[in-house]
Amino acid sequence: MLKVAGASVAALGLTAAGCGGDGGSGDAGNADGPATLRFAWWGGEPRAVKIKKAIALFEKKNPKIKIKPEFTDYQAFWEKFQTQASGGNPPDVFLNSVAFLAKYDKRGVLLDLKSQVDAGNLSLKNFRGGVETAGQVSGGKQVAVPVGANTMSLVIDKKAWDKAGVEPKFGWTWDEYFTSLQTIQDKLKIAGDTGYAGVMYLYDLYLRQNGKAFFKDGKLGFAQDDLTQWWSDYYKRVKSGIVADPKKIEQVKPKSGLSAGLAGAEFTWDNFSVRYEGEGDSDYALAPIPTTDGKDTGQYLGSLMLSISTKCEAQAQAAKFIDFMVHDPEVGKVMGYDMGVLATDDQFEAYKPGAETDKAVAEANKGIAAYESDVEKAGVLGKITPHPSGADVVEAAFLRIAGDVANAKQKVPAAVKQFFSEAEAAFQA
Amino acid sequence: MSLVKDATVLAEEVNVVRPVAQKRRGRRDNLAGYLFMSPWLAGFLLLTAGPMIASLYYAFTDYNLFAAPKWIGFDNFTAMFDDPRWQKSVQVTLKYVVIGTPLKLLLALGVALLLNQSRRGQGLYRAAFYAPSLIGASVSVGFVWRALFSDNAVVDKGLGSLGLNLGGWIGDPDMILYSLVALTVWQFGAPMVIFLAGLKQVPRELYEAAAVDGAGPLRRFWNITLPMISPVLFFNVLLESIHSFQIFGSAYVVSNTFCGPADATLVYTCYLYQKGFQQSQMGFASAMAWMLLLAVALVTVVLFWSQKKWVHYEEDVK
Repeated sequence: MLKVAGASVAALGLTAAGCGGDGGSGDAGNADGPATLRFAWWGGEPRAVKIKKAIALFEKKNPKIKIKPEFTDYQAFWEKFQTQASGGNPPDVFLNSVAFLAKYDKRGVLLDLKSQVDAGNLSLKNFRGGVETAGQVSGGKQVAVPVGANTMSLVIDKKAWDKAGVEPKFGWTWDEYFTSLQTIQDKLKIAGDTGYAGVMYLYDLYLRQNGKAFFKDGKLGFAQDDLTQWWSDYYKRVKSGIVADPKKIEQVKPKSGLSAGLAGAEFTWDNFSVRYEGEGDSDYALAPIPTTDGKDTGQYLGSLMLSISTKCEAQAQAAKFIDFMVHDPEVGKVMGYDMGVLATDDQFEAYKPGAETDKAVAEANKGIAAYESDVEKAGVLGKITPHPSGADVVEAAFLRIAGDVANAKQKVPAAVKQFFSEAEAAFQA
Repeated sequence: MSLVKDATVLAEEVNVVRPVAQKRRGRRDNLAGYLFMSPWLAGFLLLTAGPMIASLYYAFTDYNLFAAPKWIGFDNFTAMFDDPRWQKSVQVTLKYVVIGTPLKLLLALGVALLLNQSRRGQGLYRAAFYAPSLIGASVSVGFVWRALFSDNAVVDKGLGSLGLNLGGWIGDPDMILYSLVALTVWQFGAPMVIFLAGLKQVPRELYEAAAVDGAGPLRRFWNITLPMISPVLFFNVLLESIHSFQIFGSAYVVSNTFCGPADATLVYTCYLYQKGFQQSQMGFASAMAWMLLLAVALVTVVLFWSQKKWVHYEEDVK
């Protein structure tokens, strides 16, 4: 009770602080006028170091605009953001993702950037592969601008796969994938996969390979039978040991099961792959997503994005800042692929992966670049299905309930029923 | 005469004047008191009482923090009972309270009995046993606990050497709650100090008289110590139960902010937090908070009612 009570007052207190920092000193019409902007993002220390460098570049070129940085980890970010936004004090500019666009658009928090594009403060040109549309919500409103683009991938422990004598290839099928896992388990006595069935974005790809999608028209785009099949197969594979024991995976967190050597492969976003080199002591590589028909991977470019809050008074300056963050070649060089492969041509061309002083990071970035160009060449990229309001809660429920299944704490039919009812509630909230 | 009269008059005047002066001084004292208290009072009104009233209102509304709260009567409360995760959170919390609280008090009483005997370095022992309670609520201890109870860590290896191969507790939905129980039991310092104070109050003559009558140590503990410290025991049971119902921090940290795996550490406040801050259902969360308050109040009433049967105050002895 105290928690709830405390927060509502915190929100009240924050309202008084207002937007725009020092008295909302925005000169709304003039993008060069003096302003102080609060910029919030999620992520660890390495990202913070890079972003702060980018901010310094911006402030040097725009001495009248000050940027105040705020950052936490992903989960804490959204909890804090929700409290701030409901109290009328969201950060002026903030990192955003597709799972939250509809939710905060519906709540009136996200500024429609069209006026700023029209005013020439923000350019939506030169984005790779049309990824700028990922920042739109229904009705074509542009509420966010992609800063990086990434796609789902399979990260494998290269040494383990070589040792087992198996190799992933473009256009391989799910059957071939699971046979490979079996071989790894037989030969190396470790699990093949760290646990795939709770990864919403992977299941989305699988559904898309079969002509469906995770979200469709603001609802779930699949039936209970589909999920029953997906989780039943998963449970069998956990039992047989080709998918890792969830108890073991849980305990090595925040390290991943792959870098802890508990399994040979893990599905994740390609830009996350940088972490494995630092965490584990094997060699890691990006491998193609298995398919149903030997062709279609269901992949699309997902994205981290930047948004402006409707409460921001210095909108022109905020738009200018975002423009700088997504287009400036220098920023591209500083950021690298930390938030995904750079979204605009200007930055993509300016940054050459592999030049980093940290060898492992350099290798990982080179791998990501190669992987993305392979995917692009294969011509498999589709468009992301818009996520409805509540998608964030649905994603968390999906991961949690898949964990119940893997831990044998729920029978599959009951788990599926529970997921559908929680999703229903999330869409309505 | 006049002198006498003057004295009388003076005395009367003094008698009249004194209460007024006293009253005035009293009022001044009160004012000073309130002034000194005002930071606390302001804090209480703004940070506790105000939000409590607000949350009572929200408990009867559908409120997502952004749209205006919509009055829905008792719907949040009825929805609660239909929600399987809410039921799970009640189960988990009750299990934690019912197992953790008695264990903690038993250990606290046991150690207090040992420390009550005069011994060399007594102060050092008391400080050492009390220390965990001081750092108990910190997040860092939660992390240490995670490290202790994981696969191949101290606890796993220790139990393994005794032939108990349970594996790590942190990832195991059947075991992780017991690691939280162990954490609360380990922090027995505060009730121990209270027990110790109670034990010091027991008159030595009672033991001497009992010893003369031939009562052994167990008998003396059962018939003298326990009844004599029963008010302290009651106080500790009450305080620790209330405290246990509100467990949040350790569950949140030890289970990596998810209150899992498989909802194994989904204690009541953790679910409340998820509802309010992750799922934006602040109305539901407020209703949960008031439900917890009612439950704790009920436990308190039951304990107070039961004390007639087992708590002995000195006036009863007479």
